[in-house]
Amino acid sequence: MTQVTLSGLTKIFDQKSPPAVDNLDLEIESGKLTALLGPSGCGKTTTMKMIAGLLRPTAGDILFDGDSILSIKPEERGAVMVFQNYLLFPYMNIADNIGFGLKMRKVNKKEIRSRVEDMLDLVQLPGFEDRKPNQLSGGQQQRIALARALIVQPNVLLLDEPLSNLDAHLRDEMRVLIRRIQTEMGITTVFVTHDQEEAVVLADKVALLFDGRLQQFDAPDSFYDTPNTVDIATFFGGTNFIPGRYESGEMTTAIGKFRAPHSLVPEGDAVLSIRPEAVDLGEGGENSVSGTVLSHVYAGRYARFQIRIGNIEIEAVTEPGQVKLFADGDNIPVRFDPDKIWVLGPNAAEQPAGATTA
Amino acid sequence: MNRFRLSERGAERLSISVLLAPAVAVIVLLFLGGLASGFLRSLNYFPLIGLNDFNFDAYFAIFTDNGFLQSLVLTFHIAFTSTLIASILAVASALLLRPAFRGKRIVHFFFSLNLTIPHLVGAIGVLYLFQNSGLVSRIMTGLDLIQRPADFPAMVFDPWAIGIIIQYVWKEIPFIGVIVLAILLSVGEDYESVARSLGANRWQAFRQVTLPLIMPGVVSASVIVFAFTFGAFEIPYLLGRTFPAALPVLAYQSYTDVDLAARPQAMAMAMVIAFISTLLIMAYMKLSRVYIRE
Repeated sequence: MTQVTLSGLTKIFDQKSPPAVDNLDLEIESGKLTALLGPSGCGKTTTMKMIAGLLRPTAGDILFDGDSILSIKPEERGAVMVFQNYLLFPYMNIADNIGFGLKMRKVNKKEIRSRVEDMLDLVQLPGFEDRKPNQLSGGQQQRIALARALIVQPNVLLLDEPLSNLDAHLRDEMRVLIRRIQTEMGITTVFVTHDQEEAVVLADKVALLFDGRLQQFDAPDSFYDTPNTVDIATFFGGTNFIPGRYESGEMTTAIGKFRAPHSLVPEGDAVLSIRPEAVDLGEGGENSVSGTVLSHVYAGRYARFQIRIGNIEIEAVTEPGQVKLFADGDNIPVRFDPDKIWVLGPNAAEQPAGATTA
Repeated sequence: MNRFRLSERGAERLSISVLLAPAVAVIVLLFLGGLASGFLRSLNYFPLIGLNDFNFDAYFAIFTDNGFLQSLVLTFHIAFTSTLIASILAVASALLLRPAFRGKRIVHFFFSLNLTIPHLVGAIGVLYLFQNSGLVSRIMTGLDLIQRPADFPAMVFDPWAIGIIIQYVWKEIPFIGVIVLAILLSVGEDYESVARSLGANRWQAFRQVTLPLIMPGVVSASVIVFAFTFGAFEIPYLLGRTFPAALPVLAYQSYTDVDLAARPQAMAMAMVIAFISTLLIMAYMKLSRVYIRE
């Protein structure tokens, strides 16, 4: 179990372009599964390679359990990285691939053989010892790459986009497998992904990066319920935004006043955000306004409505039965549950980092 | 419809054959024709000079001749030593040239520059530099490292064929190096990163991961170099001893011998060279096919 601390970590590849990783502070908890999430080119993989020792930081420090490891060679860090494209050694069979790390440590052949067997059981591919990597499917190669990393009992396991090259069905299987192994072995694990759903489903904590900067480091649900900025909320998708002014627990907007006890800003210009699932249709009372149904979609497990309120369009996701209640063109009451409204600052740059529910 | 397509394909095939005909004719007449006539002559069939009986006398003569066997050994020594040294240095230079650095283009240009310089020019360069009266020996004399230019160790026309090997190594390093560098760049550094991250030190990562990945390319390139250095005439002719001479030189000497009876032997030697080269080229093609399949 190892706690990984990134302190002011910076990587500049080219003086002319902005830093790939910019002054990153992160506390990765021991034995937990942490996601580095962000769009491609945001510095996730660069950060991971710096932790593994494959890239040298331009500035800042990396600590394992409080000790700087910058001067320690990659092969001695115990931080093993599994690459996105697996990179099994093509000329070695599966047993030699998995046993590679132990061979480098001069472990005797008999022990290597037995531990390779254990690893193949762990990743549910028993009996694959003598196959060659090119005889395996992508999903199988991914598991072998994972086994090859786990056999050396790493302090820190680094997974680069572990699910992105797999099709949907294999992705779920792999997700379950990673979670199970990680929990069983209790290895501090960091994985990189561009898919917010993947991060949310798999991780204990998610670090969101844009352009090499940390935007928010939180439990997965916070990114949906209490995002730090409009950009973050947009990245996680599907949220309704209504601009206005916030004052003494109330949001005044072009379409009316809403009580909103949860806010990131004390007062002033602000943006009301409410997720489509939190918009109640056909309910009057507090925090309700009148809207017009523009269109609707029935999607089996849920229904999706486009509603016009004044000159603003919002989206509502309801249980599927509601398609029978409202027709396009109907005027209906629309209610925003005060507990599910989250008020944000209007501009991403003005947000204090790490702020949570007011 | 089907017949129409077939005839269309037939016409295409015909036009390809017609277009290829001149090239094929050149290969058949000059190369295979020459090879066949050489083979006949090596079997003592050369009516022009009055040889009409087929026999293996020439082969028997050369394989029992001590001079020929010495030449064969010398030729192997030249080809093997040059290829080995050139391959090792080429891999080392390719590794040095791989990472991005300032001025990489210029360095790369100079590295591959002598690919365009003819072997003959290289041979003359070696003569000027490494003869007893050459530049290196004069500089060493000037620096009082040796007393007289004649004290400089023999590196040209020497029994160990050092001058020939120097010339081949100089010329072939960029040839193998450029091929290896291309493979290194296409393989990328991620495999090594994986190895390092799994606990391999720099040497282990090179030995266990990088080398096996580039080996097929190194082998293919060196087989070509070996076949070339084994069969090439001009460098051993210019920089080598007259006895024992490299095989191609010996074959030439026999061919130009005033004794016309030596001609079948010259042809037999040429056949031996051709046979060994063919074997090597077949080995090369097999290796490269295995490599492509992987």
